[in-house]
Amino acid sequence: MASRGFASEGRRVLRDPLLLGVITVLWLLLALFVLYPLTVLMVRAFSDEGRLTIEPLMTSLGDSSHRAAFFNSLILAATVGVLGTLLGFLFALTATRTGLGRRWLTLLDAAALLPLVSPPFTTSIAIIFSFGPKGFISHHLLGFDNVSAYGFVSTALAETLTYFPIAYLTLRPIIAAIDPNLEEMAFSLGGSRWRIFRTVTVPLAIPGFANAFLLLFAASLADFATPLILAGNSFPVLPTQAYLQITGMFDFKGGAVLSLMLLVPAAVVYLLQRYWVGRRTYVTVTGKVGQRSRTRAIAPWASVALVVATVLVAVSILYFYALLVFASAVVAFGANNSFTWHHYAVIFTEGVPAIRDTLIIALIGMPLGGLYGVLVGYLIARRRFPGRQAMEIVSMVNYALPGTIVGIAYLIAFNDPPIALTGGAMIIVACYVFRYSPTGIRATVALLSQIDRSLEEASSSLGAGSGETFRRVTLPLIAPAFFAGLGVVFIRSMTAISATIFLVSLSWTLITVRILENMTEMALGPAAAFSVFVIVVVFAVVSVLSAILARLRTATAGAAARSLLGG
Amino acid sequence: MRMFRVALLALAGWLTAVAAQAADPVNVYTIWPENYARPMFQEFEKVTGIKVNFIRFSSGEALARVIAEKNNPRIDVLFGGPVETFAAGIKEGIFEPYKSPSFAKLPARFKHVDGQWTAIADDPLVFMTNGAFLKGKGLKPPASWDDLLDPAYKNQLQMADARTSGTAVTRIFSVLEVNKRDEEKTFAYLKKLRQNVQVYTKSGGGGTLPVGLGQAGGGIFFIVDALETKAKGYDVVISFPKEGIGSSAEAIALIKGAKNQAAGKKLIDFATSAAMQSKLADHKVNFVPASPDVKTEASLAEVLKGATIFPIDDDYAGANRKRIVDRWIKEVLP
Repeated sequence: MASRGFASEGRRVLRDPLLLGVITVLWLLLALFVLYPLTVLMVRAFSDEGRLTIEPLMTSLGDSSHRAAFFNSLILAATVGVLGTLLGFLFALTATRTGLGRRWLTLLDAAALLPLVSPPFTTSIAIIFSFGPKGFISHHLLGFDNVSAYGFVSTALAETLTYFPIAYLTLRPIIAAIDPNLEEMAFSLGGSRWRIFRTVTVPLAIPGFANAFLLLFAASLADFATPLILAGNSFPVLPTQAYLQITGMFDFKGGAVLSLMLLVPAAVVYLLQRYWVGRRTYVTVTGKVGQRSRTRAIAPWASVALVVATVLVAVSILYFYALLVFASAVVAFGANNSFTWHHYAVIFTEGVPAIRDTLIIALIGMPLGGLYGVLVGYLIARRRFPGRQAMEIVSMVNYALPGTIVGIAYLIAFNDPPIALTGGAMIIVACYVFRYSPTGIRATVALLSQIDRSLEEASSSLGAGSGETFRRVTLPLIAPAFFAGLGVVFIRSMTAISATIFLVSLSWTLITVRILENMTEMALGPAAAFSVFVIVVVFAVVSVLSAILARLRTATAGAAARSLLGG
Repeated sequence: MRMFRVALLALAGWLTAVAAQAADPVNVYTIWPENYARPMFQEFEKVTGIKVNFIRFSSGEALARVIAEKNNPRIDVLFGGPVETFAAGIKEGIFEPYKSPSFAKLPARFKHVDGQWTAIADDPLVFMTNGAFLKGKGLKPPASWDDLLDPAYKNQLQMADARTSGTAVTRIFSVLEVNKRDEEKTFAYLKKLRQNVQVYTKSGGGGTLPVGLGQAGGGIFFIVDALETKAKGYDVVISFPKEGIGSSAEAIALIKGAKNQAAGKKLIDFATSAAMQSKLADHKVNFVPASPDVKTEASLAEVLKGATIFPIDDDYAGANRKRIVDRWIKEVLP
């Protein structure tokens, strides 16, 4: 049976030249930019004078500090996944169910999105200044004297604050898409509010929870910058150990082996999520949506509690960023707090090449990443073709791997002929597209799993080809996911560092690399000024994107996308 | 649409900028921070008319890249950074031996026998403590290695991690020299010191700002970073242990297979001679010159007066580095 299904799927694809073409091109790209570099790296990790050996892996597994790092990574990722999803859910509920005015929502969105649009070290640095032995909060405000800002708690806190907007972005459109009429009906039928929340709202949001958790877990698992600054020496995690192994001990092999250890938990969580989500249906956009009504399913007091909790979180985020703006505009943070424009003058003279390169690369990567994400997501969610699941898994690989390893793999694989790309802009663009589009892919899949297949089937039965159905029916429906994917690729192009630190070159450098260098050079002022600049640019671009989308007025998509992008 | 137009304009601007560039620049990875390296490269451009294309990486990152790019080198010269980094590079076969005109003049510790690398400066370690912290605890600036073991410093010291930082390796070998290379005594000391360490930082200068801000009480740093912190206005005190403290040479090397060897050699000639090293003081870069032709600037010499500073024995450190660092990771770090 299975083989016959496979064959018939294959035949159907062969009859559809457009579909066949798209699948072929995507596979070629995935082979070149995901499988090839990874293979080169594996060969490097597991070959010893020409023959394959698993000895390096066994040595690594036998090392107790590596085992500790492995379990620490899991604990951290799970903590960040749970806390971040909860925080994202809190924000999403507040945004969609409490009837807050548009203006307040925009403000809330801005605060929630700040961590997502800022370079990776900003929260960490702010935490060190706030919670160290002489920290603003721990010492000057609370009077503690010898607290440590380093360790599990501060790392988890920083990562949660940095990554929860991903959960918010994932959950908000899903909760917004849950027809309030459903909750309303349950309410009219006499269900208590808590019962409705438990049995209607939460189950409908489950695909969102699963996606949010997966994305956060993977993000934390791969994050090396936050633990590098905050984890201290008592809480080693794998990505940081891998990074130190490569850049510190010049041990490519050991570093590669350490990060390949990360693949196992990433794959497990991924499969769990598939299984968990796969058993529930959650179609609420059926093509026959009735009039929207404001929900009464949340009690007034609960609304107030939600708003208060959300505002508290938002204020603490704003505080961290106020600290950053302050550092960018004083002569020497903490020593000479008089105002100066000097750091901004520096970044707009010596920093111009980095700014120019970063913007060009981001602008090239953005449409490519958005398109790629939607295409792959659509194929995975809606089309049956041989190798579909393999494509889904392969498309997630670069996202799940720690950036250090992707960067090193690209550097090794693309430095020499036949495919010499290092030193150019394309290698950085490719890295961004294949590393950060999975957000777009997941968003497309999540959105499509809420849209009844009958809409597309109606189009096909009316005689439209697969291209036309995609363009005229599916595309408008998944436009929010496209813009989400596009937005994430742009944001990441402006803020990511772990992979690209190995890919920048003399002719193409990036702002984030300059920020890291500035931090290690103790030039906190320019680092903060660069960060503020990045945040402003990302916010501006995201607002322009939302405005364009709003003008397109693709029915509900416009509103959803606006909310997705937070503007 | 507007976005695309902006992108196109930006692209066009960039293309013209590239076309306008002079021919044959020299390509460099610098391990010296940009604010130290940039003025030196500007001086080089002034003298030779050759443009320096550079990008800054920490020593580990720079070396990892050069090794990865071995078959198709992207740069001509690796500039700055402690000698340990260069010693690791020799094992990977990434350098082209070259002896500049200044080579013969330099003392043995400032050059590799075959000319794989040549020193451009010297950088002693120092103790740096926060002034307010000392006053608050009623302490004198530490004047002996044992002073750092005082419980008053508990959870208050920041210094570099030996896995990433040449500063840390120099520090550990300093303790070895002070203990007459007795490894048991050395590691007993390092383990005691660990009790007072708040965090080991990725880069050598990583702890300077926390110490300046009082987030940490003190630490062990290269003098160039310590003086920079002081110059920015932070309340820090620099002191030296009476038993002595180590110093690491900063080096330069030509890359094997470099595309522009001629210009690379010119940069090495410039950097290893008085031409560059006499300009260090003008730009307030507080490295100690390696060239015997350049006198140490007066205020720097004043800081160093009376301090016992010894070079780290290159052969001994090279032969034992990996073993010692591994032992440090296993026994001291956890």
